[in-house]
Amino acid sequence: MSALALLLITAAFALFGLATDPHHRVRFGRIPRAARKRQLRLGAWAALAFAFPLSVGARGWIMGSILWSGYVMLGAGLVFLALNFLPVSGTTYFAKRD
Amino acid sequence: MNKGFRQSQAFLHTWSGLLLGWVLFLVFVTGTIAFWRDGMNRWMRPELAPIEQPMQVLDGAQRFLSSKAPDAKSWFITMPSASTAGAQLFWVPQPKAGEKGRGRRGRRDNQALIGADGEPTTVRATRGGEFFYRFHFDLHYMPVIWARWIVGVAAMMMLVAILSGIVTHKKIFKDFFTLRRRKGQRSWLDGHNAVAVLGLPFHLMITYTGLVTLMALLMPWAVVANYADGDALPRQLFPYPQAVERTGIPAPLVPLTAIVRDAETRLGGPVGFIEVREAGDAASQVVVSRSPASMLSSRTPSLAYAGTTGKLVWTSPVPGGATTTAGAMIGLHAGRFADTVVRWIYFLCGVAGTLMVATGLVLWTVKRREKLPDPNRPHFGFILVERLNVAVLAGFPLGVAAMFWANRLLPVAMRGRAEWEIHVLFLAWAAAAVLSFVRRPAHAWVMILGSTGVLLAILPFYNMAGTPRGIVTALVTGDLLMAGVDLTMLVFGIAFLWAAARVARYRPKVRERSKRAYAELPNPVLEPAE
Repeated sequence: MSALALLLITAAFALFGLATDPHHRVRFGRIPRAARKRQLRLGAWAALAFAFPLSVGARGWIMGSILWSGYVMLGAGLVFLALNFLPVSGTTYFAKRD
Repeated sequence: MNKGFRQSQAFLHTWSGLLLGWVLFLVFVTGTIAFWRDGMNRWMRPELAPIEQPMQVLDGAQRFLSSKAPDAKSWFITMPSASTAGAQLFWVPQPKAGEKGRGRRGRRDNQALIGADGEPTTVRATRGGEFFYRFHFDLHYMPVIWARWIVGVAAMMMLVAILSGIVTHKKIFKDFFTLRRRKGQRSWLDGHNAVAVLGLPFHLMITYTGLVTLMALLMPWAVVANYADGDALPRQLFPYPQAVERTGIPAPLVPLTAIVRDAETRLGGPVGFIEVREAGDAASQVVVSRSPASMLSSRTPSLAYAGTTGKLVWTSPVPGGATTTAGAMIGLHAGRFADTVVRWIYFLCGVAGTLMVATGLVLWTVKRREKLPDPNRPHFGFILVERLNVAVLAGFPLGVAAMFWANRLLPVAMRGRAEWEIHVLFLAWAAAAVLSFVRRPAHAWVMILGSTGVLLAILPFYNMAGTPRGIVTALVTGDLLMAGVDLTMLVFGIAFLWAAARVARYRPKVRERSKRAYAELPNPVLEPAE
C-alpha cells in the first residue's frame, strides 16, 4: 500500500512537471493548451490527495503522515531528475526543442 | 509583490546565508551522517558481528555485570538490537566513604561491550557514529555551551535564510522543474533552487525543530520565570522513580530478559535502555524505558520493577500536551523512529540541505565575479569568501574521508586512538585549508575534491580485503546496513570525482564575450538574488 502511495505521488509530480511549457514541449513537441494544463494539474492533485489515505492506512496517522511528506519530497526529486536528465527518444526532441 | 520588500528580503537572504553559512555546512554534513548513527557505530567497529539474538546478548550482559560489578550502585545497559553495535554497558560502583556519590569519574574503566555471542568483547577504540551526532550540535575542541550558542545562532540565521529565500526566489514554485544546464550562473541558481525547494518541507522542519532542541538554552526565560528550583523542570520533563536505599541484604536479581519481555508488552514497543539500581541487594530496582526507535516522541515512557521479584512498582506518568509536543518535534528532528525507507528519505533530504548551503555559498562568488571591476585582482571580501568556500565545502568532506581511513588504519593498540581518529579529521581539514589559501581556487577545488573522491571510492574495496564486513560478505550474510554504508561511500566517492572532473574541465568565459552574451538576452537585468 505504501509502495502504491509512492507510485501515485511520483505520477502526480510527473503530471505537474508535464503541465509546464518547457517540459511539455520537450516531451510532446508542443506547448500545452490551457485546458490540457488544467487537466494535468487536476489529475496531479487528485493523485497526491489519494496517496494520503493510502499512507495513513499503511502506517497509521502519525507515521503515515510523515511517510506521505517524505514521499512527496522523494517523488518530486525523482521526477525532477527524470525530466531534466532522461534523454528524450525520437526526433521531436531535436526538431522542436528551440 | 512590493519590489522594495523583495529586495530587502534578498539582502537578508544573501547575508544571513553567508555569515554563518560555513558553520551551517558543517552542521548539515555531520547531521546528515548522524542519521546513520547506529550504522556508523557498527561500521566503525567492523570486528563486531551483527546481533541476531538480542535476548541472548542481554543475558550475557547480566551474567557479565553480575560477576564484574555484583554490588554496583547502578548498571546501565543499552538494549541490543539488530542495528546496534553490540550492547554497551557501564556501571557506577558504590561510592567510597568520604567520596561524593556522583561516580562519573573512572567511567572509562567501568564500561564494557557485549558482542553478538553474549560474551564480553574488545574492539578498536572509536567514537563511531557518536562523533557525528555530537559534532552536529557540540562541534569539537570547544566548550559545548559555546558550540551550542554558535549552532543555535546559525540555525536562527538558517530559518531567516529559508523564509527570506522563499520570498526572494519568487519563481521557485513556478519554475519547480526547471534546470537550465551549462548556463553558468543560471545553472547554479537553478540547482540551488531545486535542492532547496524539493526538500523545503524538510528544511523548514529540520531548522525549526533543531531550534526546539536548543530552546531551553536560547530562550531560558520561561523556565526561569516558572521554576525557582533548578531540578524541578528536569524532574517533570524526565520523570524517574525515586532513588532506592540499599538494605545490605544480598538478594539475586531476576533475569532481565523476563522483565524486558513484560515491559515490551506493557510499553507497546521495544525497550531501549535498562538501568539496574543497587544491584545484588534486596532493594534492587530495574528501570526500563521504551526505545526511541519505536515512537515519534523522544520522551519515551519508562517502567520500574522490583529487582528481586520482577513485579512492576512504578509507571512514568502520562506526559502532558507540551511535553508531547516538544518530544514529537525533537523526535522528528532526530528521526530515531525512522524505518529504512524513511531514514533514506531523511538522509537524502539532508544531502539536499547540504547542497543547498554549499550552492548558496558558491553562488555568492559566482554572482559577484561577473561584476568585479578587475577579475584578476578581486577585493579582499571576495577572496576571503572564495577561499573559505574551498577550505570548508571541499576541505571538511576530505577530513571526514580521512577520518574513515584513520578508523581502519590506526593501530588498535594506540593510546588515545579514539581521539586520534578525530585529530586526523582536523589535520586533513587543516591541510586542505592551507592548500586552499596557497593555491588558486581552480586548482585547490580539483585537488581536494579529487582526493576526497579517491579516498571514499577505494574504501569499500579496502573493506572487502581488510575487514570481515566487505560489501560481498555483507550482502551474502544479509547484513544490508554494512553493505549500504559501503555502497553509499562508493557512490559519494564517484560523485566527488565527477565534481572534481567538472571543475577541472571548467573554463571561465572571457569577460568581453560574456558581457556581449549578457546584452543579447531579451531581459538582461536579473533580479538581485532571484
